[in-house]
Amino acid sequence: MFRYLPLMLFVALWQAVVDLGVVDRHFLPSFTQTVAALWELMQSGEIAWNLWVTTYRSLGGLAIGSLLGIVLGLLMATSLAADRFFAPLVATTYSLPKSSLIPLFILWFGVGDVTAMLTVVLACLLPVIVGTYQGVKAVPAITLWSARAMGTPAHVMLRRILLPAAMRSILTGVRLALGFCYVLTISAEMIAAKAGIGKLIFFYGESGSYPYMFGGLLAIMVVAYASDRLLIAGMDYLLRWDDSVHASAEHE
Amino acid sequence: MNSESSRGAKSIAAIKAALLYSYPLLLVLLAWEVAGYLELVRPLFLPDVGTVLSQFWTLLLSGEIVGPLVVSLLRAFAGLALAVIVGVVAALTMARSKWLRWALDPLISFAFPAPKIAFVPIFILWFGIGNTSKILLVAFTCVLPMLVATYHGATGVSQQTIWSAKAMGTSESKLLTRIIFPASLPYIFGGVRVTVPVALITAFTAEMIAGGGGLGGALMYAQRFFQTPTVFVYILVMLITGFVFDHFMLRLRSRWIPWQDDTDAA
Amino acid sequence: MNRISIQNLDKRYKTRDGDIPALGSISLDVAEGEFVTIIGPSGCGKSTLLYILGGFIPADGGTIRVDGKEITGPGIDRGVVFQEYALFPWLTVIQNICYGLEMTGMPRAGREQVAHRLIRTIGLEGFENRFPRELSGGMRQRVAIARTLAYDPKILLLDEPFGALDSQTRETMQDELLRLWLAQRKTVVMVTHDVDEAVYLSERVLVMSKRPGRIVREFRVALDRSGSREQTVLSDAFTRLRNEVWLCVRQQVGGG
Repeated sequence: MFRYLPLMLFVALWQAVVDLGVVDRHFLPSFTQTVAALWELMQSGEIAWNLWVTTYRSLGGLAIGSLLGIVLGLLMATSLAADRFFAPLVATTYSLPKSSLIPLFILWFGVGDVTAMLTVVLACLLPVIVGTYQGVKAVPAITLWSARAMGTPAHVMLRRILLPAAMRSILTGVRLALGFCYVLTISAEMIAAKAGIGKLIFFYGESGSYPYMFGGLLAIMVVAYASDRLLIAGMDYLLRWDDSVHASAEHE
Repeated sequence: MNSESSRGAKSIAAIKAALLYSYPLLLVLLAWEVAGYLELVRPLFLPDVGTVLSQFWTLLLSGEIVGPLVVSLLRAFAGLALAVIVGVVAALTMARSKWLRWALDPLISFAFPAPKIAFVPIFILWFGIGNTSKILLVAFTCVLPMLVATYHGATGVSQQTIWSAKAMGTSESKLLTRIIFPASLPYIFGGVRVTVPVALITAFTAEMIAGGGGLGGALMYAQRFFQTPTVFVYILVMLITGFVFDHFMLRLRSRWIPWQDDTDAA
Repeated sequence: MNRISIQNLDKRYKTRDGDIPALGSISLDVAEGEFVTIIGPSGCGKSTLLYILGGFIPADGGTIRVDGKEITGPGIDRGVVFQEYALFPWLTVIQNICYGLEMTGMPRAGREQVAHRLIRTIGLEGFENRFPRELSGGMRQRVAIARTLAYDPKILLLDEPFGALDSQTRETMQDELLRLWLAQRKTVVMVTHDVDEAVYLSERVLVMSKRPGRIVREFRVALDRSGSREQTVLSDAFTRLRNEVWLCVRQQVGGG
């Protein structure tokens, strides 16, 4: 509890600054105002619906992007031909801000799930490919040799040896991608969308209903925080066997 | 082995390597051209390569690329500079002050995973749609990664190093500037390298959402009027910009921080 | 027929400036059930020789035959234990030991039975469900050995298996290995830089020269190992032999 005291102090400060008139209530609704607005939105189901849309776009895109990324990363790390083919493509698209594709996708696919999720998938691909690739390349030769000496066939090698050994690096890439996925969905929703938290925040901003805007923002911050913590917990479980140096440094 | 013939052999090898490296990209370009040629897709959705390139040239000459680009870059780097200053100072101080650590830790933990782009409407409300709001949003988005990277470096200084410095009479403030700050430089640089793309993306996206000029604003404008070749041109410009800065950062690092052996600062 | 037959084995390392010979035409035979140790100065290629025997890296010349057939890669007939254990860190102790058995297709019940027996033999009861990260170096090495013994390979290849352990643990492990070998009489080829270890454990000690490694001398070890470690190590026979081998290795190191 003591650890969260600074958060509570921050909230108290926020409330005080508004209530004491230091900042205009119009520009910065107080904490209580924000929570009240959020409560209203929850009652009407508006928050739940929009949060759901944003979440499934983000996490769905993350899942697809991560899966594809792992497959591609594995392929590139184990086959020289695949590496030669995909590496230039990966390196080039690395520097492209994926949100710049949103207007193009709107042109092609309209203003809906496809645009948002496609952008998220593309953004999540890269960190996961890189994480997988580096993880597999870093597996010590003697681990592979031991497995082969014990008669591991090639197709089993991938699933039972390479994947677990590379797991920390892969999951670090996924965590990076998690950071992006909400940003991209919300970007797409704010640029042009019919639903989603981004659209909600933007809409209430445009129409001047600032407590609702802040409420929506608070809601998505909580959701993003919760997903990150969930991923960390998942990582801790999946990597409970890991002895490496990075094991303790992850908790940021 | 004759040095001249081996140099010749090396440049042939280099050309071969370059070709081998770029063939997937050429393949993509080829597929694009073929699709346009065979009219597989309407030009509205996928203009052919030639149209995009000539539009690129046109816009370049009319200043419609350089102008918005400069605006976006100024916003991005001003915001980044602000984030670096605030982030580094905060991180270094946090590394030495237990109560500051306690105060800021939960705030940072909560804010870190938050999608900062969602704050665009707030920043517009507070600072308008001009440069200020964009710069501050960029700073807001970049400050946490900078802080975390610097903090990593600052806390990574070994206890024995600090004790040695203290034994030689280093005061607390000197410790910060003469020991901890230099030790953190590789991590600060690593943080900047990772954050430059973030700064660029944030600037572009904020412009796409809120308008107010810059490359993002120009891109949205073209999209609204279905000027597809222009859309492609601006996407290309953003790609090239990101690419150039990433390479630039790599070169800089090897020049300014030659003593660092490649650990996890990247 | 010899279990292992190596003829004129060559190995080169390819670098930018040409080939560097690592091994220089090695020939040696290992009979069934024999315990052979290869010893030599650092960098002489003894581990390389072992890796080629294991089928992990290819030779550049010569032949290697196991039971008359040329080897084509790693296989379950040649079990290997590395100096850094190479345990699978994401599997528990018992899962690691069961792994080789799983690859041979043995059903789970049978596997676990074998594994439990081995765990008792190596003295790690109670640690079945721990991860390698929770074990000490000596315990990890025991698991590594048990993992290899589990699926009963005909040949054991040991690459400085106790090099990473402190000297007391090393002595304990050597005794255990000796005990296991005396009971099962597998064919063993071990690589080490520890002269005492080589003489204590093996029946034949082969000394390699500096790079390119060649076998320069062979020692037959005829010790009475029926007694305790103290009796063996403090005996005159051991001391004399050990000094001869040590001198020979030293000459190789000194380039004499």
